[in-house]
Amino acid sequence: MKRRDFLKFSASTALALAALDMDKKGGFFKAATSYAKETGSLPGSLGAKEVPSVCEMCFWRCPIVGKVKGGRLVKIEGNPKSPANGTRVCARGNSGVQLVYDPDRLKYPLKRMGERGEGKWAKISWDEALDEVAHNMDKVRKKYGPHALAYFDHGASAEFTREIFKALGTENYSSEPAFFQCVGPVAIAYLDTMGFVVSGTRQYIDMANAKAILLVASHIGENVHVSHVKEFIEGLSKGAKLVVVDPRFSAAANKADIYLPIRPGTDTALLLAWINYVIQHGLYEKEFVERNCIGFDKVRAAVKDYTLEWAAKICDLDVKDIEAAIKLLAENRPHVAVHPGRHSTWYGTGDVERHHALSILASIFGAVGQKGGIYFPTPVKKAHAHCAACSEEHEIEEPDVSLRDNFPFVEPLPGTPTGAIIEATLTGKPYPIRLWGINGVNIIQTIPDPYKTMEAIKKLDFIYCEEMLPGETAIWSDIVLPSATYLERYDALHAYDGLTPYLTVRQPVIEPPFEVKTPYWIAKELAKRLGLKCFTCENEREFIEEELKELGHSLEKLNQEGGLITIKPNPYRSPDKLEMPTESGKILLYVEDYEDEDLDPVPRFVPTPAPPKGYARLIYGRVPVHTFSRTMNNLWLHNEWPENHAWINDQVAKKIGIKDGDEIVLENQDGRRSNPVKAKVTPGIRPDCIYLPHGFGSKSKHLTKAYGKGASDQFLITKTVTDPFMGSTSKRTNFVRILKGEKALEIPELRPVPKEIPRFELKRA
Amino acid sequence: MSQYAMVIDLDRCVGCHACAVACRAEWKVPVEEGYRRNWVKRIGPVATPHGLSYTFYPGLCNHCDHPVCVDVCPVDPEERTFKSFKDGCTKKMTIKATYKEPFTGIVLIDKERCIGCGACVEACPYHARYLDETLDEPKADKCTFCFERISRGEVPACVKTCIGDARIFGDLSDPNSEVSKLVKAGARRLESKVVKIGPNVYWKGKKKDIHALMSAFAPMEKTWEEVKNGPDRLRRSLIKALV
Repeated sequence: MKRRDFLKFSASTALALAALDMDKKGGFFKAATSYAKETGSLPGSLGAKEVPSVCEMCFWRCPIVGKVKGGRLVKIEGNPKSPANGTRVCARGNSGVQLVYDPDRLKYPLKRMGERGEGKWAKISWDEALDEVAHNMDKVRKKYGPHALAYFDHGASAEFTREIFKALGTENYSSEPAFFQCVGPVAIAYLDTMGFVVSGTRQYIDMANAKAILLVASHIGENVHVSHVKEFIEGLSKGAKLVVVDPRFSAAANKADIYLPIRPGTDTALLLAWINYVIQHGLYEKEFVERNCIGFDKVRAAVKDYTLEWAAKICDLDVKDIEAAIKLLAENRPHVAVHPGRHSTWYGTGDVERHHALSILASIFGAVGQKGGIYFPTPVKKAHAHCAACSEEHEIEEPDVSLRDNFPFVEPLPGTPTGAIIEATLTGKPYPIRLWGINGVNIIQTIPDPYKTMEAIKKLDFIYCEEMLPGETAIWSDIVLPSATYLERYDALHAYDGLTPYLTVRQPVIEPPFEVKTPYWIAKELAKRLGLKCFTCENEREFIEEELKELGHSLEKLNQEGGLITIKPNPYRSPDKLEMPTESGKILLYVEDYEDEDLDPVPRFVPTPAPPKGYARLIYGRVPVHTFSRTMNNLWLHNEWPENHAWINDQVAKKIGIKDGDEIVLENQDGRRSNPVKAKVTPGIRPDCIYLPHGFGSKSKHLTKAYGKGASDQFLITKTVTDPFMGSTSKRTNFVRILKGEKALEIPELRPVPKEIPRFELKRA
Repeated sequence: MSQYAMVIDLDRCVGCHACAVACRAEWKVPVEEGYRRNWVKRIGPVATPHGLSYTFYPGLCNHCDHPVCVDVCPVDPEERTFKSFKDGCTKKMTIKATYKEPFTGIVLIDKERCIGCGACVEACPYHARYLDETLDEPKADKCTFCFERISRGEVPACVKTCIGDARIFGDLSDPNSEVSKLVKAGARRLESKVVKIGPNVYWKGKKKDIHALMSAFAPMEKTWEEVKNGPDRLRRSLIKALV
């Protein structure tokens, strides 16, 4: 089976239908409970009308209930019917209220008046705005061909308009930073070895039932996805041992039994040495490997020279610690959660290899399909309403030279690498790109080298966006279409296929305010103007009813049941009936397809260059109260965490005279400077790194709370390496030094770099 | 008499701030400097004698056994009849504008009678109170252990939203309650040599984390005299004028 076929297969599996049938027999959910109507004048959120829906403060999509009093959304809680999060929502989930009532919200369609990037607008009517978008799409398509259109998208709000770009025939109908700047490498590594995306939107890793957990730079807890965190905590509270590998002492590292402060860029060296150790010492599951894995002998041969002593030197770790860690993990096999990771576009070179190595480690531990290991998603039957898309199947005619050509393993995915689109927009090669549509993503704060992105935007004939807030995307757009928040709209049925599967639906808790419209309405109106036969339902409710009807349900019935249907999970398989969703039914430890493309069929350690003298590597991550750069203007979240801090090692700080709380500026290897940011001096970071939480330092004055608060990591990421597998771009290949006042402070090298690791060479002016 | 209490398990806490925001949402706490009933402060990463710690101070009113905030309230006492939401028993008690509710041990504020002098705000060694000056007439405010919710059979908003189930709420007078068991097992409260007023919020966790928490947030070292005379001169004169 080809990867493409597999994806189709997995999307249409009918297992869950059985689960739904059992539901009808009273198998899985309790008697219907009707949702409360508003009652009396009780204190707080008590007595509110409750509407079940789905959160979108991030993209984990927790089931929620919106609580409404006097027509106003007052509170959001987890949907008690949800087997994943129950009544729990995170700080962001709680703060959806302030997304709705953000005074800076986009209220009307806008037309740019000043230069692109200036943020000067005039209010226009919906007809004018839609006419102009449709006219430009049509004009650019006729003049330059369909591929001159590119669509940057993320999340449910972007799905309908994606259909339009597809129907117009562009290969660039889905360019997701969520893939090419985030999960790309991990998704590909597991798809190619295990036959399914063990980590993409979801991570199918059974931490709740693990006896040991390995996290390689996953800072769970700072990266908050409620059910994921809940399962992590559950596992630990039941006694799971935890090994954390991270150059920074994260909230997760604080809970570790063994913490390994690894030199950045050397994770694969550690993993390969561990794999070798496990094989040499017979600490793997022999029967499982014989029965279920292909290429074990090739792996054994390929890793035989990677010793723990070698890894200790490369990774700057104590050999005793790394031996203790691998023993701890191995003795708990097969119930070991080798976390696949999520954000994985780190170094460009070796990203897929790192996750391939993690996949091998999990496999030789036999930790696949077993309690505590990687588990299988439970297929949830989802019907598709025809009127939610375009009625005709549009064949996309490939261009002579495709932007996807250079990336052999991007094939099973719909997207075009964002870096390739920006390059083509700037150079006109291999073909011109002259129009961008943007939906649900801040391309300036998400894609590396925003300076280049801004240059590319200046070259476009037309750029428009659908947005809720006037962030960077909006100020760079010619037309801004104000879009409904997740609390004001329906979206297609939402199926969760993790450990606690369910089916639910996003539905409006309140009406869209001002002249704000829903993504379905906007797509429908655009399609109409472009003469496309799409979106034939009157409104969203109609297609959701159509989806539910196929499952023998209705919206009313679903809401009587609390807005959510619980499905029986089916995550584990016996090791002798593993039936991996690969062509052979087995795990490919050795990936022949990679060899065919001159890529490593078994991971090899290729070092990423070390910081140049006087610089530290810039690393970044999340804070638990913010999502990307989307939530910094939220009243409550801004209040909890208004700005970021630059983490600096305490010994480094002492040597260069920086004190905790000092205001500093970071300058990268290309001379790009950050906003002023406060130093956080701590022993909890290696001396060769500086850590800056992501998403701060907004450049849009229209975000009155977020503007200029903290420093943007993205504006310091100007050097990227492109991954050869699927075209993602690296984000941890940049180096910074500190400016205090105007004085440049060189970062002393407290941890010498071994000769096996080359050093990044500064361009000399 | 019951004494409601909370134990916060730092091993289950990831410092996500959901508690702080849920509380703000539930009780419409205005976003002004220092206005909060419930908070998360981050500690570290910092070296401790037990190893590196990166932990949190999820805090709220301690509903102390001997609340100094109640002692300093200058409002004339009035007799009030209280009714237990558990068994309907009633009890008469003379209270000032802030008082310890007799059936739950929860420290509450009578907003009708609060004169907004801020004496309680300054007296609290945990900074658990704030003076809401966004109101036409300023009033003191703080955590009520969600009295309004628990008296209607609900759990406190912060407990309901906690993603790690790190907050355990219950009655300390019941030896079989989970809070009692955890306190017996060694959960710690924030006290210092001179500030021992019987707080009823406890934290449990790794040695290093408890050490970091105690080092960073032990209550301010104020003597009883200092606390009693705590309010600044302006407020003191205001209190004198009113009393």
